[in-house]
Amino acid sequence: MPEGGPVPSATYPPGDLAIWIFILAELLVFAVFFAAYAFTRLDHVELFNHYQTTLDSDAALVNTLALITSSWLVVRGVAAVREGDHRACARWFWGAFGMGALFLFVKSLEYAHHLSAGISLSTNTFYMFYLSLTFFHFMHVMLGMVILAAVAIKAAGGGYSREDHVGVETGASYWHMVDLVWLVLFPLVYVMR
Amino acid sequence: MQYKSQAVAKPYFIAAIGLFIGQILFGLILGLQYVVGDFMFPEIPFNVARMVHTNLLIVWLLFGFMGSAYYLVPEEAERELHSPGLAILMFWIFLVAGALTVLGYLLVPYSGLAQMTGNHLLPTMGREFLEQPTITKVGIVIVALAFLYNVGMTVLKGRKTVVSLVLLIGLLGLALLFLFAFYNPDNLAKDKYYWWWVVHLWVEGVWELILGAILAFVLIKTTGVDREVIEKWLYVIIAMALITGIVGTGHHFYWIGAPEYWQWWGSIFSALEPLPFFMMTVFAFNMVNRRRRNHPNKAAVLWALGTAVMAFLGAGVWGFMHTLSPVNYYTHGSQITAAHGHMAFYGAYVMIVLTMISYAMPILRGRQAANSNLSQVVEMWSFWLMTVSMVFITLFLTGAGILQVYMQRYSTDPLPFMVVQEKIALFYWMREVAGLVFLIGLITYVASFFVGGRQPEPKATAMPEPAAG
Amino acid sequence: MSQAFTKAMARNIFYGGSAFFILLFLALTFQTHKAWPERDNRQNITASVSAGKVLWEENNCIGCHTLLGEGAYFAPELGNAFQRLGGKDGIKAFIMSRPKDGIPGRRSMPQFNFTEAELDAIADFLEYVSGIDTANWPPNIQG
Repeated sequence: MPEGGPVPSATYPPGDLAIWIFILAELLVFAVFFAAYAFTRLDHVELFNHYQTTLDSDAALVNTLALITSSWLVVRGVAAVREGDHRACARWFWGAFGMGALFLFVKSLEYAHHLSAGISLSTNTFYMFYLSLTFFHFMHVMLGMVILAAVAIKAAGGGYSREDHVGVETGASYWHMVDLVWLVLFPLVYVMR
Repeated sequence: MQYKSQAVAKPYFIAAIGLFIGQILFGLILGLQYVVGDFMFPEIPFNVARMVHTNLLIVWLLFGFMGSAYYLVPEEAERELHSPGLAILMFWIFLVAGALTVLGYLLVPYSGLAQMTGNHLLPTMGREFLEQPTITKVGIVIVALAFLYNVGMTVLKGRKTVVSLVLLIGLLGLALLFLFAFYNPDNLAKDKYYWWWVVHLWVEGVWELILGAILAFVLIKTTGVDREVIEKWLYVIIAMALITGIVGTGHHFYWIGAPEYWQWWGSIFSALEPLPFFMMTVFAFNMVNRRRRNHPNKAAVLWALGTAVMAFLGAGVWGFMHTLSPVNYYTHGSQITAAHGHMAFYGAYVMIVLTMISYAMPILRGRQAANSNLSQVVEMWSFWLMTVSMVFITLFLTGAGILQVYMQRYSTDPLPFMVVQEKIALFYWMREVAGLVFLIGLITYVASFFVGGRQPEPKATAMPEPAAG
Repeated sequence: MSQAFTKAMARNIFYGGSAFFILLFLALTFQTHKAWPERDNRQNITASVSAGKVLWEENNCIGCHTLLGEGAYFAPELGNAFQRLGGKDGIKAFIMSRPKDGIPGRRSMPQFNFTEAELDAIADFLEYVSGIDTANWPPNIQG
């Protein structure tokens, strides 16, 4: 291996295997939720189509871009630590954290709008699914941000190196999962008619 | 025995087995009342016998958990128990309070017991499994606090292992969640909602932590597999248990006045509740296959493997069967629920306590590691008798449940409850016969403590080195 | 496989995952509190209904019956007893009619010797319960 070059990940899948068990379990939950949404929609196509138009798809688009950007930032962070630059890694991860915060801010505005309109989980089947799915994902973004911050703090303190950065890859894997779920959720709930 | 104070576990285990016998006898009375409706009426009406049956189960499992903790924690913490005297004192308080409560059930009409114990001051009685007089509930809290203090101090001052930490979290959760037993609003929808915070979050939440910790301890001791490996599994299993089990509580909220989104949340998360039990089965067999030595206590290993399998079947498979809300709409509150309840409690919690007793009792009685071959053979017979008969009890109740659901709920011409009960009486008779076999198994189990006491114990053997490659 | 699977990570998932789902459960519970007023028939909880609930509890009715499907499975469901037995009078008449020594060979509800006021309270309680929105459970009048 050339001196100073990036160290390829020693293991596949990247990161700690335990997080992959967790990620698979989470994806399973989301998959079941999405399937339930899709099947229920078949029975209530008009209701779903009608209430979909009450959602703010511009805000969701902003959020999609925010999460895609954050994933890119996380990739840069992993690349940085593989080259041994743990300070840069921390900066990239804080950037991704910021994008997560943007997501939460925009999503909160949407929720505030719904709340002021008196909408809740019990309003109708569409809002039940919309609120359940997005809120469950919302909490995942929060958890993901906690993980990003923990990795960034440890990285800034020199806790990771070119040779040993499993924690960075673990955090990155989790964040990509959060992003991935949104990339299914966004078209499914906001766009598809 | 590595530490003298572990000996306090012995009376706890003996009391547990004694109350277990009482529980089964009342179970047989109940089973007979299902088919001979006036059996023992009006001296011991069904509701009283059922209360004794379920309350004895809870109390003896608590005795078992506490005994297990008193045995396991000193060995994990590598020091004597903080206060063996306190443990013995609490044993007698709990036993006397439990015995008085059961006598109260049997000798005084329930409404009289409510009056005698001042239920009007803080009404908590008369809800399923929480029938104990309020004063008994307060007693349970005091015993639990003293117990947690005792065990907690031991862990704090000694070596902190994952096993003892997980056990402690489970026991702490058990005590904290029990506090919801004191919340009993007039609003029935709220009453039922928070009642499940005790019942569900016990058996499908924190008790699984206790189960996992005890199982891990016995597997570490009997297989000789590296503690690191077992503790890793333990974390993953209990993480899965709580991740699925907490929101899985929703599968109880479908039809009790809670909003309907619970049908989705409850169905999705509780559908995943079999996962931790499945992992537990894989884990137990994996560890036994990778064992470094053949432990002389074969009976304990059998109980441990049995727990993993039966917990998966009873809690996992039989639970999944009726957890989805469209299915539960028809099965809710039928004999299907009873079938699941029997196998889940036996497979998960009865068997884990018997696993621990099987492992610890020979040592507590002064042996090196195991009972004589004769005693173990008798014990393993009792394992099969009880386990197989419990499978049949579950199958017969499931048959009864399917017929009940069809005739009373699903068919185009639904029949009244009592008419259906008479039509399915044959299944109740078969369940009662299976129950008798269970009692024979239990008698065999007790007998195993009294046979082969003078005979030597089998020797541990090393596993042959695995072939290279 | 096991080398890439660390105990520290398993521990973090346990603590993180548990905290996450406890928070989620509390959020859903908060929503439930907001939805209850529409469903739990609280406007009909009178003093008599409360007294009836105490009688229900202090006579351990749940030891044989189910209420909204929860309890013992030895005797009929009572969440819809108000409709099935024909209102308050039907409930009271049934409770009063139980023979003291049971029925030979059959299940029979005990005779509780309730006063008229107590019977009213129990019937009021069961009427209140029948008004809780249970998402159309039970499937039919037989419970």
